Amino acid sequence: MVSKLSRSRFSGVLASFVGLVILAVLPGFVDPYSLRIVTGVLMWAGLACAWNIVGGYAGYISFGHSAFFGIGAYVTGILMQRDLGIPFLATLPLGILVAVGVAAAIGGPTMRLRGAYFAIATWAFAEMLMQVAIILDITGGTAGLSLPAYLNEFFFYYTMLVVALLAYLGTWYLLERTRFGFRLKALRDHEPAAEAMGIHTTLVKVQAFALSAGITSLFGSIYAYWVTFIDPRSVMGPEITDQMVVMVLLGGLGTVWGPALGATVLWLINRYIWSELGDTTIYLPILGLIIAMIVLFLPNGLISLLPGGRRGGGLMGRLLRKL
Amino acid sequence: MDVLLQALLNGILIGGILICLTVGFQLTFGVLHVIDFAVGGWVMLGGYAAYWASRLLGIDPFISVFFVFALFTLIGCALGPLIYHVRTSRYARPDLMALAFTFGIFIMMRGGALWLWSFDSRSVGSVLSGASFSLGPVTVPLLRLSAFGMALLLGLGLFVLLYRTRFGLAVRAVAQNRDHAGLMGVDVKRVSAYVYGIYTGITASAGVLLATIYSVNPEVGVRYTLFAFFVAVLAGLGSVGGVLVAGLVLGLVESLVGTYVGTRYSLLVVFATLYLVLLISPKGILQRGI
Repeated sequence: MVSKLSRSRFSGVLASFVGLVILAVLPGFVDPYSLRIVTGVLMWAGLACAWNIVGGYAGYISFGHSAFFGIGAYVTGILMQRDLGIPFLATLPLGILVAVGVAAAIGGPTMRLRGAYFAIATWAFAEMLMQVAIILDITGGTAGLSLPAYLNEFFFYYTMLVVALLAYLGTWYLLERTRFGFRLKALRDHEPAAEAMGIHTTLVKVQAFALSAGITSLFGSIYAYWVTFIDPRSVMGPEITDQMVVMVLLGGLGTVWGPALGATVLWLINRYIWSELGDTTIYLPILGLIIAMIVLFLPNGLISLLPGGRRGGGLMGRLLRKL
Repeated sequence: MDVLLQALLNGILIGGILICLTVGFQLTFGVLHVIDFAVGGWVMLGGYAAYWASRLLGIDPFISVFFVFALFTLIGCALGPLIYHVRTSRYARPDLMALAFTFGIFIMMRGGALWLWSFDSRSVGSVLSGASFSLGPVTVPLLRLSAFGMALLLGLGLFVLLYRTRFGLAVRAVAQNRDHAGLMGVDVKRVSAYVYGIYTGITASAGVLLATIYSVNPEVGVRYTLFAFFVAVLAGLGSVGGVLVAGLVLGLVESLVGTYVGTRYSLLVVFATLYLVLLISPKGILQRGI
């Protein structure tokens, strides 16, 4: 028994180690175009992970996460303009601070709403913020905002990699290994019961919302510097939220590694359509079809197809749990 | 003063169509307990149907609206059982899964329209376009007046169906309590499918009317989903009667903000009001939601 356990533990460590080494040395072996695609996968995996904290673990479906992505992108974009000239890395904590502040401020009243009401409220909030970004001068309005160009694909690859890894390890630890995670899952499963058990549900929900917003904003900041040009539609548009939702549903709602799986599959499909067909509009109906099919036939996501897969489990989860 | 009167008139005329756009949505929420994100998608598809009917067959939108109603009722009746299946499934959170399902359908509609018909805005011409008459200080556009009348007709038809027929009795019974209605011999699944069909039919018809007044493009769906949510939340989700007030409120707000503040602020005002109403009074300003 002991030897069997330690052997599988060993293979788990080995698999994770091999995976990390491959990710670390990848930039040396692929062309810049493929590297950009992998960078995109990392970013979306991180965003899906952030959305999953609220959508999967707290059970509150947010249709407004594009707001936090946009906040990060605009904080970095505005602060890096020539007259201010604040260095990129210094803008990251500021973006997180603003996003967490906004999330904490709106989280209290908004998260009193349940189910569909919460979904509508977050959606209205995000669209409202996008309208504000269109109207304001400081954001450049619909004309958008250009950032100083920094053409170093390696830098962005490693930044996304580190942030995405931290996001996954952080959420795995917080949600599967601490009291905070148990409280969150308890209120997802039955909120009045969780409250009766003495859990301060409002506080826990707002903490989860702020954590999720902070991670989302961080990716928004990096994205803005990466693509060097942002406008309200590209960083605050509903498509950002749409993709986050679909990736999590596709991978597996409320699982640690499902979002990463969903993000990888979906982003590769997205890039494939973009490069092979040269027509991105067909991507949207495919996206919609995937959501409808998942809800009908695979409500636990792709991760439930993996050997040993079940809610909160799956192969990757098992591997990592043995670490 | 004349400007104010004109803005009020326009607001009321559009408000009538917004009522027509939301009654079906409310009915669906009451019976199926599903928030249909795709409501704006039905409006958009109705607009496109009218456009193609007028473009290819030369049928005036005020005639094709009846065919659109019939066609979309059939489509809705086909889709209804799927939504019923998701809503009553044994998933962990059937309400959220149903929401995600309609969300997927909405993306499919918007993306499909973009893919097939591109970004271009298309206007639907009618024999009534451009005609108007004066009533004291204000000009009454015949097109908007007729669209308003048609919307009222559709809404009235729905009320007669709900309160004067056996089918309406069954619908109201299911809305009150699904299990008890089932025990009384109501075929809940079939009633739900028909309600969804009526909802898509009436919403697509509202789309035809809106397409004759404005124009139709793939992005209008998001806007009308917002409008339907706004009216529904203001009225209290599931309350069919409250829509009469809330629809007029939205029509007037949009028209007044557009006239006095600027059209680019109108969406901001609508979103902000929706958000605040949800926070302050989630059951609607009339406290009639469920």
